[in-house]
Amino acid sequence: MTSTTIRLRVNGESRTVDVDPEEPLLWVLRDHLGLTGAKFGCGEGVCGVCSVLINNEVYRSCAVAVGEIAADDEIVTIEGLGRPGNLSPLQQAFIDHTAFGCGYCTPGMIVTAEGLLRSNPSPTRAEIVTAMDDNLCRCASYPAIVDAVASVAGDDADRRED
Amino acid sequence: MPLSRRAFLELLGGSTAYAFAAGCGTGDDGFVEVTAPAKGKIGARDHAVRHFIDYTEWIVIHPDGSVTAYTGRIEMGQGLKTVLMDLVSQGLELPREKIEVVLGDTDLCPDDGPTEGSNATRIVGWRGFWRACERIRGHLVERAAKRLGVPPAKLRYADGAVIGVGKRSHRIGIGELADGTVHLGTLDPRDRYVSARPYEDRGTPPVNGEAIVTGTLAYAGDLFCGEAPYGSWRVPPYHAHLTRAESLDLERARRQPGVDLVAPMGNTAMAIGSSFRGVERCLEKAVTAWSVPKRPLDLKVEEEIRARAKLKKVIEERGTPDDAFTGCRVDLAETYITQYASQAPMETETAIAEIDGDRATVWTSTQAPFKARASVAETLRIPEENVRIISLPVGGGFGVKVGTQAPKEAAQIARVAGRKVKLVYSREHQFVGRSRYKEAVVADLRSGVGADGRIVARTLDLHQDEGFGSTGTYDIPNVRSRLFRSPMPGRHGTMRGTSFVQTCFAVESHTDSLADALGVDPVEFRLRNIAEPAFGPLLDACADMIGYRSRRSGDGRGIGFGICHHGGRQLGATAAEVSVDRTTGVVRVERLAGAFDIGIIVNRNTLGATVTGAMIWGLGYALFEEVEMDGHRCHTRGLGDYRIPRFSDVPPIELAFFDNVTRAHAPRGCGELPVITAAAAIANAVARAVGVRFHTLPITPDRVLAAIGTQRGGNQSVT
Repeated sequence: MTSTTIRLRVNGESRTVDVDPEEPLLWVLRDHLGLTGAKFGCGEGVCGVCSVLINNEVYRSCAVAVGEIAADDEIVTIEGLGRPGNLSPLQQAFIDHTAFGCGYCTPGMIVTAEGLLRSNPSPTRAEIVTAMDDNLCRCASYPAIVDAVASVAGDDADRRED
Repeated sequence: MPLSRRAFLELLGGSTAYAFAAGCGTGDDGFVEVTAPAKGKIGARDHAVRHFIDYTEWIVIHPDGSVTAYTGRIEMGQGLKTVLMDLVSQGLELPREKIEVVLGDTDLCPDDGPTEGSNATRIVGWRGFWRACERIRGHLVERAAKRLGVPPAKLRYADGAVIGVGKRSHRIGIGELADGTVHLGTLDPRDRYVSARPYEDRGTPPVNGEAIVTGTLAYAGDLFCGEAPYGSWRVPPYHAHLTRAESLDLERARRQPGVDLVAPMGNTAMAIGSSFRGVERCLEKAVTAWSVPKRPLDLKVEEEIRARAKLKKVIEERGTPDDAFTGCRVDLAETYITQYASQAPMETETAIAEIDGDRATVWTSTQAPFKARASVAETLRIPEENVRIISLPVGGGFGVKVGTQAPKEAAQIARVAGRKVKLVYSREHQFVGRSRYKEAVVADLRSGVGADGRIVARTLDLHQDEGFGSTGTYDIPNVRSRLFRSPMPGRHGTMRGTSFVQTCFAVESHTDSLADALGVDPVEFRLRNIAEPAFGPLLDACADMIGYRSRRSGDGRGIGFGICHHGGRQLGATAAEVSVDRTTGVVRVERLAGAFDIGIIVNRNTLGATVTGAMIWGLGYALFEEVEMDGHRCHTRGLGDYRIPRFSDVPPIELAFFDNVTRAHAPRGCGELPVITAAAAIANAVARAVGVRFHTLPITPDRVLAAIGTQRGGNQSVT
């Protein structure tokens, strides 16, 4: 067995796992840390349903080997953004705009939007589309997702379009 | 199927259950009172009804005044749970917090049929739950009257209680009224039903919203993480039904970290282990040789479909279609072809199976829990009642999860493993494992149009694996439409819009061709020939929303229309405006406008999300979606190989909803119709933009460039 003890920082907490360092972060989050918000969608980093933030940047957790992550890298999953009863502004906006159908891609969408807003707090609608274009939603809730993200980005998204 | 009252009695224990079973015999008032059991013990197994039209409904009122509603239908993002919650909440005048909606648990819920065909809101929601609430209100008033010794007219139902009219001193909550008895009534979903009072859409948020946005909504794959091992099977490189594993190297495969067991299974190999990735890797090594399919490598979709086609049924025949073409001003024959497509839900098929002696429990993502139960029982050779299917929220189904492969395979693997096993389909499993594609269709159409612009005669021959779409959108006196069944190299599976998308594309493209041959405006031509007058306002609404009268097609820009009707008298029209880059062949949809006559709206939030998404589905089907395969194998094996709509493809979308066709003030559903009309409208818009008709979907850049090239060569039509 090629298990190694790996230390991670997830949602502000230090965690330790014994796992094959080649194991994708997605499955470590789900099977070892009980964080099931990041979903399995494609296993090849093309759909975005497993998106997480590492040091505020968006990564596809199915395509990141857990061994590549440094012990002081800050991983943030959907669970780290807000909880039931204590939603983040983006999470609330997704509800207000019914920005989902089945909801399976939604954690990845919110994490990706969060990553965008951390680097660019007031993106235009075009910037939102560009930043999120690699996240797939088969229910095709795309227009409502853009509306939801734009509403959190403030009036800028709509004004700067004109 | 009549309910066994004895079985029913045995199943109940403390709450009041309202069961509505089609064909159930009861007393004159439609209710039978029996002693009731404890909360959570309600079961419906013995009066499961096999087809959705013979549905059974359950609403249980608990002594504390809370209510549980049960249905065998499921939630897959179409908003059914929200719709049912809204209907029961308004129907019994209770806040959402007092209501629980339980979906798709075969031990708790009645068999209301698979969730497909855009009919759950109409059949289960409206004719079931809403009507049940009406009956319950009336019944509780009668009950309170008896108890209080006053005439029922002196009482009314309000806010989850029965109260005295003009005298608030009479107030008995439903929990108290329901007190330990069961009332069984009958509802026949085929009855004409007119609601005693209007429903009001209050625009409530989706019920699962908070769980969805926090990542806490548990889908099947989120259960038993780190507890149940993963089990899987090797996807063959060839079409699964044309090959088998010829040699295995289980020893080498077994060495993969995180794997506990590798074994042969059917025509392939299976493995179990603690790591999803480990199991997949192990399986890649497990099979070292596959038998090569015994059929030509080359796959000519149209030729093969035609060559194998056998007449299955005459869909529609009236008048004298063979003679009626004589003397027509236009007599036009055309062929339209659509390609294989894949449902590609974001959540792959998932099932966790646990076998305990001769009993099995399967937690799964399914559109058809009762079909899954039968399938698992058959696989394990145990009685159906020993199998419990627990449906989790479905992360997108679109038809593929009407199939029962994953629950069945999970059960098979769990039996070999001797423990609870989780099967999560990889993308390769999902795309090619059991190859259930939306069928390719070859449609031969011929129509004759008189000098007055009325279609006089039509023949339509559909060649496809299963099903058939709507052929009756137009009022034509002489018609013959036939279905020729043709088994495909890639096997058939149902997919959103079923065969309607293909047929509507063919019929609506042909409609535009006829209008052009006559030199008549395509909207005007449709208005002259529609079978339902209610299509008129829909076409007008679409034309207005897209600004049709003030714009011109041509020079790489075009506006097209598509109309269709779908199950339960849903009528729809869509207008699309597209631009086409003549050098790259890339089509961009600039705007979409959809008008749908679908009755009242139960929840505008979930309806808006569903219909908007469906319009975008139409866009994908018209322009992108095509499973690439040859006679031996499917080349589309991952999401990266299959182009579905994404953010940057989506244009502004405008929607309008009507209730003209029946005026029954009931919801009729709209989950598929916009896919159907949008795909047809986009195809017509592209034809207008470049001046060439497209006879094959999807309209990819290659096909556009080929069409433009042909146009330069002088021919006005390409396939």
